[in-house]
Amino acid sequence: MKKKQSTEPRSMRILLMSMLAIFAVVAAACGSTASDAVDAVEGAADDAAEAVEEVVEGDDGEEAMEEEDGEEAMEEESAAPAGDRSITVALVGNDNIEKMAELAPENFTAETGIEVNFTVLDEQTLREVTTREVGAGGDQFDVVQIGMFETPQFGANGWLVGLNDLAAASDTYDIDDLIPAVRNGLSVDGELYSSPFYAESSFVMYRQSFMDEAGITVPDNPTWDQIADIARQIDSDEVAGICLRGKPGWGDLGAAFTTVLNTFGGTWWSANEDGSIGTSQVDQPEFAEALNFYVDLLNDAGEDDAANSSFNECKTLFEEGKVAMWYDATGAASLFPAEIQADTSFALAPTKVTDNSGWLWAWTLAIPVSTTDQDAAWQFIDWATNAEYHQLIADTDGWAAVPPGTRQSLYANPEYQEAASAFAQRTLDAMLAAPIDNPGTTPRPGLPGVQYVGVPEFQDVGTRCTEQFSAAIGGSVSVDDALAACHAIASEYNG
Amino acid sequence: MSQGNTGPVVGQRSLGGYLLSLLAWIVGVMFFFPVFWMALSGFKTEAEANADPSLIFDPTLEQFRTVTADKPGLLDAAEAFANSAWIVAISTVLCMALAIPAAYALSIKPIGKWKDVLFFFISTKFLPIVAAILPLWLIADYLDLRNTRLLLIILYTAMNLPLAVWMLRSFFAEVPKELIEAAQIDGASLRSQITSVIMPIVAPGIAATALLCVIFAWNEFYLAIQLNTSDASTVPIWVNSAVEFQGQFLAQLSAAATLATLPVVIAGWLAQKRMIRGLAMGAIK
Amino acid sequence: MTSTSTLSRDEQVKALQKKDARRRRIPLLPALIFTIVVTQTPFVFSLYFGFLKWRGNTTAPREWIGFKNYTDAFQNMFFREAAWVSILMTVSAVLLSVIFGTLIALLLDRKFFGQGFVRTLIITPFLVMPVVAGLVWKNQMFSFNFGVINWVLNQVGIESREWVSEFPLWTIVIVLVWQWTPFMMLIMLAGLQGQSSSVLEAAKVDGASASATFFQITLPHLRPYLELGVLLGSIYLIQVYDHIFTITGGGPGSTNIPFFVNQRSFGAAFAYGSASAYSILVVIAAILIANFGLRVLSGLLEGEEA
Repeated sequence: MKKKQSTEPRSMRILLMSMLAIFAVVAAACGSTASDAVDAVEGAADDAAEAVEEVVEGDDGEEAMEEEDGEEAMEEESAAPAGDRSITVALVGNDNIEKMAELAPENFTAETGIEVNFTVLDEQTLREVTTREVGAGGDQFDVVQIGMFETPQFGANGWLVGLNDLAAASDTYDIDDLIPAVRNGLSVDGELYSSPFYAESSFVMYRQSFMDEAGITVPDNPTWDQIADIARQIDSDEVAGICLRGKPGWGDLGAAFTTVLNTFGGTWWSANEDGSIGTSQVDQPEFAEALNFYVDLLNDAGEDDAANSSFNECKTLFEEGKVAMWYDATGAASLFPAEIQADTSFALAPTKVTDNSGWLWAWTLAIPVSTTDQDAAWQFIDWATNAEYHQLIADTDGWAAVPPGTRQSLYANPEYQEAASAFAQRTLDAMLAAPIDNPGTTPRPGLPGVQYVGVPEFQDVGTRCTEQFSAAIGGSVSVDDALAACHAIASEYNG
Repeated sequence: MSQGNTGPVVGQRSLGGYLLSLLAWIVGVMFFFPVFWMALSGFKTEAEANADPSLIFDPTLEQFRTVTADKPGLLDAAEAFANSAWIVAISTVLCMALAIPAAYALSIKPIGKWKDVLFFFISTKFLPIVAAILPLWLIADYLDLRNTRLLLIILYTAMNLPLAVWMLRSFFAEVPKELIEAAQIDGASLRSQITSVIMPIVAPGIAATALLCVIFAWNEFYLAIQLNTSDASTVPIWVNSAVEFQGQFLAQLSAAATLATLPVVIAGWLAQKRMIRGLAMGAIK
Repeated sequence: MTSTSTLSRDEQVKALQKKDARRRRIPLLPALIFTIVVTQTPFVFSLYFGFLKWRGNTTAPREWIGFKNYTDAFQNMFFREAAWVSILMTVSAVLLSVIFGTLIALLLDRKFFGQGFVRTLIITPFLVMPVVAGLVWKNQMFSFNFGVINWVLNQVGIESREWVSEFPLWTIVIVLVWQWTPFMMLIMLAGLQGQSSSVLEAAKVDGASASATFFQITLPHLRPYLELGVLLGSIYLIQVYDHIFTITGGGPGSTNIPFFVNQRSFGAAFAYGSASAYSILVVIAAILIANFGLRVLSGLLEGEEA
């Protein structure tokens, strides 16, 4: 990216100055009191503006901002280049996924002739869009990225194409190679409804050198009390003790907090005998204890601006050495630069009254039943989630960058074991330990599911309650008020 | 309308006058600062943008290259700008085409109950768009209009029409009745009345109104993200997609945001005088 | 004979008038019909949906439940909270931007070096895309670590603060005021420039003080412009969604009515029936507010009637 570095700065500075000059001319002209003058310079300023835009565009394409051929552009719904078959895929924007979008044209389309249009959205918008589209039977997407939360629900609702037969007919997709816990989480009555792209559990990551310096040993299988003690002990003005998610969203703060809630003995709702939602348990003491613990820990030893931090922010802070520990997704480990990886050690997700507390999550690709080209959609999913794709990533970015957590063959691969020795086994252990069918101490609806309640209502409750909790972390409301509000929200769905 | 010097009273060469001028400059710089900062950050590297604020750095076009690069299969800048340009241009033209005759009917020879009709137009602006999104989505889905430019053209036209009718009506009301009557007595046809008498007077008003329509349509986000998620997506969606969910994105976001705001900002700068005139007339008459 | 001819002339005149009235209405019709179809049809659907139990994220069939969605809505404390946030946000943003807009207009309505340039600077925020305004303020101004505001405060020895988390409502209001002050300034500038200079001259000659001139001549003259600013500002600011979406993403203190209603439908709950009921309530409230607003507008139009 930094080519031409040597010649660039001076010319850049000149360019910047000339832009400022143009701006000043335009602005002065606009402001001049004689409107005739405005008219007179308008043309000139227009030219200047165009020039600026052209310059800004750089050599990547002078025509880029020009219109496409008028009529045609109006009629055409997509700007996709011509191709016999094309599919539209909805994705969430993160490194693993965007890498896949980047590789698709040369590796997938070149082989199959199937054009792929990607719609990349933020997680929140992706969830809105997929739930709406798939639920209403909209035919906008042929492949949607959904998670382990949605798959069993959508599958049971009959909104997704079952994948067992398609997988069996494929030479490249080995369904039995999937890690069993993941496969189970994505299946309804034995039928797989989405194919995992990457899967993860949660664990504690910490900077070994910081701990060594402070003479602290982090247990391999810590309790939350131990982690909180260490965090408070090591916390200083320069380095925060621990980074925890504080950003609203059931998949952000909601995920991390719910694992704490589970192991503190609390839960969101009780379950009726048929497994449906009973009554809100947010007013129970365990819930309050868990939230108070979480908020206090962040206040005492958490990262700065915790209420706006989630995976991305914590990852940056951890890499910059501004936090000593970080409790989050196992997938983070494969994203660190080598020197950070070398200094990072891992411990299992902390517990309190349960034995295991790590979550289980997978981002997956699924085919809505409304697709117009099921075969093309499956070919794409097959390509993006089979073992050959792992090889492709290994060839381009090295084994350590392979999307983790989906296939046993990856963990059996000696090259992967070597490249990812720091975290491969830890990740697998954490995933196998995730208490997916029994995450807490009391009966609950929406199983399997650890860091969420696997019912559609949770999307609303989790979103709005974590807004309250995040506000409590940020300090604009009290923990008690947040709990009361959340109890009212969860009670809206009492069965 | 006199220019800018009706303001009282503090002598221009007095100390107080200089202080007030200084204050105006300070306020101006403060208001512009966030925009300036945004544009500046677009020329930084991510590392520089994600650090303590600094004015001294080696500018780079890297971010502008990244955000305008061709991204096969993804929403790239060229596509988003083309979509926005078409949608904004056509919806503004359409809006004017509907609003000008309506404004004419409400002012030059006002129909009975013209006030009620005008009120109706304005009252539709009070209806919250979010409250209509579900039916809009269903109707658009039924008509196969989702993810088409046509859909946003229709909606943006409807969104801007009340404001356009209202402002244009005021401009038409400015046309002196005597002029029209004189033209009639001279035997001018309706067409020539319109082209030679009315249009020259209201033309600046039409320009000001059209500009406001362009601003609001170019900047609209909610309808676009809800209805045109995968195709015919507009510039605001493209800007929002520059927010990365892993890694640093501030410089890249700034570059995208700068490009996205540039067209409307320049148009607004160029037309501000007319906008003031337009608002003055459009407002009160 | 005479009588019949008069009659027929009357009839003729009436018929002509009718024809003329119809002809004069024709140019209005396209805009009127277009507006009615596009803006009113959705609410007919909402009216119907509001009586249904209909959840878009389940397969449960739609069910007619009468007014239950409405009774639930009235009991929902979060709806009331959102209404309160909406009022607070709109009123404070409108008032602040009208006040600042007026002050700045007064400041700019005098000849000084760079007058037009300064006006150009100030006008810019109004032209900035709301999504961009939200993102830039959140990530570059308010941001805890590298935000300009904290950096400036640090220079004078004040500790950094988490602006967005601590003051969710007011950070949004600040950005709204930043964007809408220029618009108000434009309106006020138009008003100031419309002042007759002879009256001001006369006041000067009479030896009126600056403040007396302002309060007794300028302010009354500006009144309709102030009303216009309040009206237009309210129309747009009560609908604010983009800023909340980009700055706080909702939550206590910043979830206003549009954000709340969106969360009921596509945002999280997919409770389409309930969301429609809320929509209808919001529309009713909007009509009430509009009536009030239009009375103000009516005052604006009065001058012309005379």
